[in-house]
Amino acid sequence: MDETTILYFIAVVFSILVIYWISIAVSLTYRRNRTARLEKIEITFADIVSRYLYEDPKKPLTLTEITRTLRNVGIKEKNKNNIQFLIRLMIRTQRTIVGSNFYKLQRLYTQIPPYGVSVKKISSWNWYRQARGIRELYEMNQSQYFDEIFKYRNDKNIYVRREAQIALVVFLGWESLRFLPYLKRNMTLWQQIKIVEKLYDLYPKPELKWLHRAYKTDRLFGIKLLMRIIRKYELHAETGYIVDNLNHEDYEVRETAIYCIKTFAVSSSTMEYIKNLYDDIPDATQQGQLLDYIYQNSEIDLDFYMRQLYGTNDDLKLSIAEILWNNGYKEKVQEFYYEQYPNSVLNVG
Amino acid sequence: MRKVLVIQEDIIILKILERLVKLNNFECRAIRSLDALNIEDQQTNYDFIITDILFEGIAPLEFVAQIQEILLHKNLLIVTNMGQDKIKQEIFALRDITGFYAVPIDLDEIEAIIQAY
Repeated sequence: MDETTILYFIAVVFSILVIYWISIAVSLTYRRNRTARLEKIEITFADIVSRYLYEDPKKPLTLTEITRTLRNVGIKEKNKNNIQFLIRLMIRTQRTIVGSNFYKLQRLYTQIPPYGVSVKKISSWNWYRQARGIRELYEMNQSQYFDEIFKYRNDKNIYVRREAQIALVVFLGWESLRFLPYLKRNMTLWQQIKIVEKLYDLYPKPELKWLHRAYKTDRLFGIKLLMRIIRKYELHAETGYIVDNLNHEDYEVRETAIYCIKTFAVSSSTMEYIKNLYDDIPDATQQGQLLDYIYQNSEIDLDFYMRQLYGTNDDLKLSIAEILWNNGYKEKVQEFYYEQYPNSVLNVG
Repeated sequence: MRKVLVIQEDIIILKILERLVKLNNFECRAIRSLDALNIEDQQTNYDFIITDILFEGIAPLEFVAQIQEILLHKNLLIVTNMGQDKIKQEIFALRDITGFYAVPIDLDEIEAIIQAY
């Protein structure tokens, strides 16, 4: 390698280094400016909200003043990132406050920029923007756009319809269950949990009228959702719906029913009914779970357990035997055991 | 004039509480962390301290204990994002706490307490 090649090599390495330094410097400056800008927007927004909620009679805050101030800190149509940041602040603030100020904020949001940015997102071709738009509208409680959102409850994209369905719950509360029988697409477990949690947070007082109407749904996800709602609200009077689904033909519906019934203690007559349903469950694991529930929530019913012990279901006989053994019926288990083997094999007697 | 100290990291809640307090004819000092305290604050006997409990580098209960130890005050209100049952129980077990409000908060309740003072 001669001298010029080495010099050339050094020059190349050095220039790459310089490019790195410059890009680091640019990125650092950009980030510093950006953080400063966002902080300024946050402080300005905090100032506006506080002055709007607690207005000083001597120095009232006008809408033109708000619009001007926001524009001065960079809330302009072309600065999409700034607008998005402001929307995030608006949602955060709305979530922090309840009572009369919540409604004041809701009114403020309809009057200040970014006007209608969220609702414009709904008509976007991109599912991500659509879902985000719907979410922003329900988080800011802008119920005037209900009709636009309502159209998306059966959207083919899972995220768009998920947000639209949650928006229905936020705006209508228990009444939104009215639409449950008419939903066409599947609802995932996560979506069911989100709906139950949202409903519980915003509408803690149950309105059984709507629940009863939703009972006529034959969609599997609908049945599961209703059972989860009954469980979350601890609606003891509605446990019949869960019990009726314990022997449902679908595996997951049965699974949810068993999971939900575990929250409740039921009357002895209902427990008798559950014991009758026990034989109809085609899956041994689920029978085992239900057996566990029956054992923990009722007195020892010797007839029931003996029937199971001498029945045809071999999978759970060991569990049944254990229950009997531990609850004072040791000799019954021994009797059953000896009956299975002729004396000669056992080498006894 | 009656004095209130507000300590909140979240600038929006801080500003809102500051306005609420000022409009009710209190003198208000609003800061975002304990670092911003000065000697004067330590000598002032505040009528109310309205504070969060979630700050970097310090456990919630320890923070409350510190406030009670270093600042003179008559009433201590806690307004925080941390509304978990465990925290609530622990805070209620402490002595001399006038009120505990977890988000979402109803500002009217806080205003009522201040006005009743």
